[in-house]
Amino acid sequence: MTDKASSPAFFTARHYFVLAVLVALFVALIGRAAYLQVFNQKFLLGEGSQRQLRTIETAAYRGTIFDRAGNPLAISTPVDSIWVNPKIILQDTQGLKKLTKSLGLNFRKTFNRLKQRVNREFVFIKRRIKPELAQQAVADVKGAYLQREYNRFYPAGEVVAHVVGFTDIDNKGREGLELIYQDSLKARPGKRKILRNRKGEVVEEIAQVVAAEPGQDLTTSIDMRLQYIAYRSLASSIKKYHAKSGSAVLLDAHSGEVLAMVNLPSYNPNKPRNNVAQRRRNRAITDIFEPGSTIKPFTLAAAIDKGLYSAQSKINTTPGYMRVTGYPVRDFRNYGVLDLAGILRKSSNVGAAKIALSMTAQDLWKAFSSYGFGEPTGVSFPAASSGYLSFFGDWHPIDQATLAFGYGLSVSVLQLARGFSVFANAGKLLPLSLLKRSQSPQGVQVMKAKTARLVLKMLEQVVGPGGTAKKAAIKGYRVAGKTGTVKKSTAGGYLDDTYRAVFAGIAPASNPRLVMAVMIDEPDKDIGYYGGTVAAPVFREVMTQALRLLNVSPDKPQQISTLAMRSREEGL
Amino acid sequence: MEHRYWLMLLIILVTGSSMAVIYVKHESRILFSELRVNQKRQDELRIQWSRLLIQKSTLITQANVESVARKKLDMVLPENIQIVTLVEYD
Repeated sequence: MTDKASSPAFFTARHYFVLAVLVALFVALIGRAAYLQVFNQKFLLGEGSQRQLRTIETAAYRGTIFDRAGNPLAISTPVDSIWVNPKIILQDTQGLKKLTKSLGLNFRKTFNRLKQRVNREFVFIKRRIKPELAQQAVADVKGAYLQREYNRFYPAGEVVAHVVGFTDIDNKGREGLELIYQDSLKARPGKRKILRNRKGEVVEEIAQVVAAEPGQDLTTSIDMRLQYIAYRSLASSIKKYHAKSGSAVLLDAHSGEVLAMVNLPSYNPNKPRNNVAQRRRNRAITDIFEPGSTIKPFTLAAAIDKGLYSAQSKINTTPGYMRVTGYPVRDFRNYGVLDLAGILRKSSNVGAAKIALSMTAQDLWKAFSSYGFGEPTGVSFPAASSGYLSFFGDWHPIDQATLAFGYGLSVSVLQLARGFSVFANAGKLLPLSLLKRSQSPQGVQVMKAKTARLVLKMLEQVVGPGGTAKKAAIKGYRVAGKTGTVKKSTAGGYLDDTYRAVFAGIAPASNPRLVMAVMIDEPDKDIGYYGGTVAAPVFREVMTQALRLLNVSPDKPQQISTLAMRSREEGL
Repeated sequence: MEHRYWLMLLIILVTGSSMAVIYVKHESRILFSELRVNQKRQDELRIQWSRLLIQKSTLITQANVESVARKKLDMVLPENIQIVTLVEYD
């Protein structure tokens, strides 16, 4: 370029000058930094914290759980939690005194607790109280702040606790639908930038970084009216018979929706910590038991479907017992010659066993399996059980015979109700649901419609005169159902004096709308233990109310007055 | 010469856009504070809504409706014999 710039003398002088200036500046900079760091630290830290730019969380609420009519079963309401900065609040004991007083806390205890945590900047002193209360409490108290949280409240409490479940303090589902649908119910908190002053007060909200997203609502298939009635009448029966526990399930026959599902003992989901895990189980779904005689209609249906028997078939059950490869099968007494309806009406074990033994093991197994026994119900639920049906290849004749009257397989109350819905639905088996459905599912034809109708007719006789379930009869309506009184088993064999009382039924029989299964565990033998005595009245009570509330018209005209109407114009 | 015009133009554009940034930033702060006010309002309304919803569901429980019907309105469940079913025929 130019000659001047490249001359060494010129370069050296300037070079050193520039270098000296730079070094001087650098030293000055370091000196200043050191001065600020060492001598002015306190002042600057204070200044800094006066103008903190922080990103904080924006709370969002969890989705609400509704019953089918829109009543809340679980709802999140805003609450405030109070937290303090110990460094600040401990300098002002008057303020702390005022705060503890308005919150009903012990001043000394709180003081000591904060003293131990003096190095922290964030300590909760009271969680989840009403927003108005919280705002009053922290007003004019330095170093005490609010944090918005959401509290989960269960208005129906223990009545529907097993179905809905509950959440923990961090709003995560722990049981029931709250757990299963955690992903869609949960809220996604947002983030926002704020400017805080030294007192921690928000000077300015600057920007939204991420928008908060509330959780999605969930509408269940439960009808709270029916749920209350079912709970009340199950509870009264359990109390009356000093039973250990019980479950009941009410289904809509055509949509496969669960209208009511109750279990006892129950718990208060608003205070889940006070309860033992044992009470929290949704027995209707998780617990399985041998269904006993309630299985007999399925045995008959399987044989009728195969064309082995018809409504007119007669079976000789004399002398009231039989031996199958050495093992005895007994009836209550000798019922003589019975038709198929008679076997159900009298609940004859011998009759049912004879029918089962006339089929091949494979056919019987296939039929039972297709009715949903040993299969999932379609309801997704924590710890849901599919029941138990052993493989036919392992059966001995006695296994096949006892299967006919409900021993050697296990079902949940929900499965039993689902099985009965096949009779109510002209042979179709539906996947069940705890969520409200907008339309009925297709279902699978597992039994000929003709067979289903025939067995339904026979089941009406069980509730009629001479049947075992007279206490399930409802005035004005035709009812079909089957009782079961099951000996409880342990690992060692069957127990003598402990029973389960079971009833499953359908109403109205002319055009089935509702299916219900009731199971009561260990009623007191001295008061009553038959399915027809203990479980059937629960069915009657709930069904009577349910038919009325759902506006199902009576189908048994001889018990009510009928007025024939000539035409639309004339009448009404 | 042409360069100068370009430079002028760019300076004007840069100044303009920086003013726009300031304006938009200001606007966004105002809108955000408005959003927060509305969110707080929404919170309050939600508290009220959930309270009313719970109140409603308490009032319409079967037991409550039944007791009001029986005691206040003197209603009774009709006996089956009192029910008349109208059957239509041609």
